[in-house]
Amino acid sequence: MRRHCARPFFFFPLLLLLLFPSPAWPETDGYLAELKGTAERRHLQDDRYWDILLFYKPAAGGRKSLVDDPKFFLSPGGKRDPGAELSATLDAMFDNSLSPPARCRFPARYEWLKETLQIDTARLPAQECPELDNTLRAINPKSASLIFSSGHMNAPASMFGHTFLRLDSAYESPLLSYAVNYAATINPKDSGISYAFKGIFGFYPGYYSILPYYAKVREYAAMEHRDLWEYRTNLTETEVRRMTLHVLEMQGVYMDYYFLDENCSYDLLFLLEAARPSVALTDRHKEFFVTPIDTLRSVLAAGLIDNVVFRASTARRIRRMAEEAGAAEVATAKSLAYGDVEPSTVVEGPLPPPEKARVLDLASDFTQYLYRKKEIPKSPYQERYLRILAARSTVVAPSPESPPIPVPAPPESGHLVSRASLAGGARDGDSFLEIAYRPAYHSLEDPAEGFNDGSQIVFSEAAVRWYPGDEKVRVQRLDLIDIVSLSPRDALFSPVSWKLQTGFATRDFPGGVESLVYEVNPGGGFAWKVPPLGIVSVLTETDLAVSGRYDRSFAFGMGGSAGIARQVSDRWGVLARARYVYGVLGDTERGRRFTGSLSLPFRLSRNRSLVLEGEHEDAPSVHVGTIRLTWNAYF
Amino acid sequence: MKKLLVLVAVFSLVVAGTAMAAGNTNTGCGLGTVIFKDVQNRTTLVQVVEATTNGSSGNQTFGISSGTSECTQPTKTVQNERLNEFVQANLDELARDISAGKGETLSTVAELMGVPSAQRDAFNSNLQAHFQQIFPAPGVEFAHVVDTIVSVSNQG
Repeated sequence: MRRHCARPFFFFPLLLLLLFPSPAWPETDGYLAELKGTAERRHLQDDRYWDILLFYKPAAGGRKSLVDDPKFFLSPGGKRDPGAELSATLDAMFDNSLSPPARCRFPARYEWLKETLQIDTARLPAQECPELDNTLRAINPKSASLIFSSGHMNAPASMFGHTFLRLDSAYESPLLSYAVNYAATINPKDSGISYAFKGIFGFYPGYYSILPYYAKVREYAAMEHRDLWEYRTNLTETEVRRMTLHVLEMQGVYMDYYFLDENCSYDLLFLLEAARPSVALTDRHKEFFVTPIDTLRSVLAAGLIDNVVFRASTARRIRRMAEEAGAAEVATAKSLAYGDVEPSTVVEGPLPPPEKARVLDLASDFTQYLYRKKEIPKSPYQERYLRILAARSTVVAPSPESPPIPVPAPPESGHLVSRASLAGGARDGDSFLEIAYRPAYHSLEDPAEGFNDGSQIVFSEAAVRWYPGDEKVRVQRLDLIDIVSLSPRDALFSPVSWKLQTGFATRDFPGGVESLVYEVNPGGGFAWKVPPLGIVSVLTETDLAVSGRYDRSFAFGMGGSAGIARQVSDRWGVLARARYVYGVLGDTERGRRFTGSLSLPFRLSRNRSLVLEGEHEDAPSVHVGTIRLTWNAYF
Repeated sequence: MKKLLVLVAVFSLVVAGTAMAAGNTNTGCGLGTVIFKDVQNRTTLVQVVEATTNGSSGNQTFGISSGTSECTQPTKTVQNERLNEFVQANLDELARDISAGKGETLSTVAELMGVPSAQRDAFNSNLQAHFQQIFPAPGVEFAHVVDTIVSVSNQG
């Protein structure tokens, strides 16, 4: 693997020095020196707020800013020298040659210094910030919300969710608020492998951005089927204004984006600290891994949240409307969306007006959904959508008042994501004890509350098993990734379900031999919600196993699996799976394998659960049954 | 361990990357124009990485408005920049809400036009009744929509 130790930013300060030789100071009648003196006497460079504004964190030999972009620092050594940066910032305020002036470029620093040092602005050079003023007028920040977007229905990789901030104005409608997002900027020209490297190991620059909230609602709720949770903070107008100024000075400034810790959710915490420095949010996270839900939890724990509003995704809204309507109405709505039926036939038809309204509302929503999915091109969409709406406008009755969309359990109500397990069981009569640990995130057998149904994402779970009988300890499993996404299909939506599992696992070989193999097991297929059974899925799968024990060192098989996942009550769940793989390449004989399993998870409390599991495995000369009881603790 | 993680990542991307979305930039004016504007055309491959890293190939600008400037501008309401921008960026959602006589996009427009809450119901049903005048054709431009909403509600 390539090493990425030498980062280009080391050279930038030098470059800056060359590009900008000593700036020309105007006459400052000693006021600058006086302010610098005061700042020094009061050790302002060690003030917590200065650390927050400059993203300083303790590092070897002092403090170091998390910002990697050299243009964020006014002093060439600013990244590692808070004092030099403070002094350079004061210099810059008296500098008339900067464009835009320093106070416009770094408004949060300016405001803070002005307040803290009680700067007499009349003694500073007269400078206007028309652009900043316009932006502030447009945003008109009064209060703020933390927005949590749930995972993507059909992409458990996004299951961690996403967090961003919303600056709320005096307007009643939240659609007129602005969202503040922190994200890595990906170069669309990068190849797949390069994405993987850069995305996962953090070689993309992270930037803050500001967008109208309606654009974010469209992106998440409409395009990606993700519900939004809007947590209203109790930040005051003054605090929110401070935060906004800080966001504005981060415009176009990058930080190296690290997926694991310096990520979207972590970096938003700095903004909240800039608003209310008394909440220490960024110091709370010492973990290796910071997920959006961790961020949300720490913000809740800090007492920053007053209430929460749930904004259902468009897909959830459409599903809800379809549930309320009868099957015939849904079928009509679908035909309307596909252009097979004229909207006028509904208007002139026999349905009572409220039902007419509902069919047409459902049809227009679904037409737009098809257009978003690019299943219908722009021009038929425009025409069809408009015809349906025109018909709808002639039905004056409102849709029947459907009961409000049931609000799912909020994300913070879910179990914590690290899991340690203790298990005891028997394998073909030999009893064993097992311990397991996984850092993240959620599996189908974990308590479902607060997570997406049918979604699983497990990172690097390790299990070690001990058989007292033969006094042997062995690695049972080392999953690198185990993702399952079961998205039920229905009358309107036809998503694909898929899985991907890879890692080391112990497999049985003839003669009672067990051996660790490396396996790669992707699959794809369909799932449906069948009321008494729960989510029923059928997937085709391939299975690659690599081990010296195989002829030609590998076995590649193809086959399929069927499964049932059902949440019986708040506490009980049932998971049943059967899988058959037929050897196709390599060691075709031993590539053939059948596994059947039944597990009964039982939720003891939010962060404790029990799972009783039985499994049977059948392969040439291998017939093994295992029964196991697992106790899980989430932390 | 890291090597393996990379291997896994690459593999999962290759698997997930098999479904590629067709590129279609939808520039222009009228209905269906802004739907894709804020969300770039991304392949599934990219989406997986983005979802995992919360990355984005979208331009990470400080975009205070989201409309398209090449479309015709309204005549009567040039003063209400915010209304123009909002209608332009939410044309499809607004059409839906007006046809149904209710909805968040419609109430946002009412707020931007300063319609008092006591008159909102009348405002909504008046616009619903004039839907075909406000949205006469698929390629309708937001300028016409804004102008007609203003004139229709002044009559109403």
